[in-house]
Amino acid sequence: MGGPVLRVRQGKGLLGDDGGVMEAVRPASEAARASERVPREHRVVRSAGRRDPLGLDLYEGMVQWRLWAMLGWSDIRQRYRRSTLGPFWITLSTGIFILALGLIYGRLLRMETATFLPYFAVGYIIWTFVSSATIDACNAFLEGERIIKQIKRPFSVFVLRVVWRNFVVFLHTAIVFLPILIFFHVDTGFTALLAIPAFALLLLNQVWVGLVVAILNTRFRDVLQMVTTAVQILFFSTPIMYPVDALGDAAILAHINPVHHFIEIVRAPLLGKMPALESWLVAWVTILVGFLVALLLFRRVDRRIVYWL
Amino acid sequence: MARISLTHVSVEIPVFDVSSASLRKVLLGSVGGQFNRTGSQVLVRALKDVSFEAHDGDRIGVIGRNGSGKTTLLRVLTDVYPPTEGSIEISGRVSPMFDATLGMSPDATGMENIRICGMLWGLSDEQIAQGIDDVVAFTELGDYMNVPVRTYSTGMFLRLAFAIATLREPEILLLDEVIGVGDAAFFEKAYARLIGMVRQSRILVVASHGEKIIRDLCNKAMWLDGGTLKEFGDVDYVFAAYRKELAKGAAA
Repeated sequence: MGGPVLRVRQGKGLLGDDGGVMEAVRPASEAARASERVPREHRVVRSAGRRDPLGLDLYEGMVQWRLWAMLGWSDIRQRYRRSTLGPFWITLSTGIFILALGLIYGRLLRMETATFLPYFAVGYIIWTFVSSATIDACNAFLEGERIIKQIKRPFSVFVLRVVWRNFVVFLHTAIVFLPILIFFHVDTGFTALLAIPAFALLLLNQVWVGLVVAILNTRFRDVLQMVTTAVQILFFSTPIMYPVDALGDAAILAHINPVHHFIEIVRAPLLGKMPALESWLVAWVTILVGFLVALLLFRRVDRRIVYWL
Repeated sequence: MARISLTHVSVEIPVFDVSSASLRKVLLGSVGGQFNRTGSQVLVRALKDVSFEAHDGDRIGVIGRNGSGKTTLLRVLTDVYPPTEGSIEISGRVSPMFDATLGMSPDATGMENIRICGMLWGLSDEQIAQGIDDVVAFTELGDYMNVPVRTYSTGMFLRLAFAIATLREPEILLLDEVIGVGDAAFFEKAYARLIGMVRQSRILVVASHGEKIIRDLCNKAMWLDGGTLKEFGDVDYVFAAYRKELAKGAAA
């Protein structure tokens, strides 16, 4: 393992913020003692062959949440500049898509529209978030290249920025569900509130997924294409456009698919049902194992990512 | 008390051609158990065994031909490029300014950009709030501050970016080529502001091709050649050695 390794200590950020007051240059004898007074966050010790504590970068990225929140916001503004409806275009197009496909597929599956359409709508809205956040994250470091090469920031900032901006877009599409809920008189009761912690789990999950695909795609630029294809296949193999029962003997395909369980824990409460314990368990295990894998992978390559850009 | 210390720092940058960067190569290469085969990778040694120390009051001008490792050295000091060999130790807040327009968002107004770029540069909320008047006065943008930046001329854009980037109070200031901003009259003003920031800093490292700039700003010079540190010390001495080498190259 020849990768160079660093240990950075920084609090609010290497670029500092406490506006240090200038002092006259001290005589050399005092200099040694004075150097010990440099705030910890303004001290960098880095040497080839030393490793960071696992997860340090992610922790520091979380701490700098205002930075990625700001970056994500300005991404969205940039994307929808001068558009009258702005991000609500997604609301509109998702709504039309759900309505059209929901009506047709309900027929094909011989399901009642009142059952199928809300089911499809919720599943599809959640899915849109999963797929766009995953594909978008592939370019997280590439789009941050200018910043990454000029100022020191945790790499995770760029992944969190992607997850955050996709979450903002998700909030726009989620509006579609409201009229459907009202029109079909879906009685959710308080169970629906369970969807909130469930979605928080999904967000968390997208962080490690994003970290992994961002790393891989920075090194191997084909990964974006592979992920895009994989996501497409997942869409058809995950019960979104059809209920799990429709799989018949092949229902095992849904049970071994973590994405299905993540969708299920958010979808079921919104339709007034309790998600199966199995789904919660799979979600948690996926998150724990996923973060472990992602953080180990990150620590293995963190010194090299910048050289891959 | 700021301090920079580099010991035996080397930086190797991998160069990927289209085929070696693709996953296919690794997958195909791994067939038959040769998983560790990385023979296709080309490495460029951008810095070779560089060691030096800098303390409070040091103003170092880095000179050398194109591709001699000046920018790489600055990136190492910024903690952006981790050394592939050796180690660095830096005490003090590092403020790099390689491209002042970093983070400028064309669709945000001038005012909003102060907040956006300020945050990116690591300024605190108070520093940003206190800096607004300063930026408005310096850029002379007036009402344009409330208009999206994309409507600005190139000169106005650069002025704003430069004003925000120079709001920082660096302990260790890193500059890559002192920026030429806008028209000549404005350049004078920008240069004066830059010098103000340089005076505030405890250590300055500036990479430049301009001898005058280095003589103006620096009390030490460092000559990089092919990634190695050729000379480091008195400005006159280093420039003399550098010019001798250039003359030799021209004669040959």
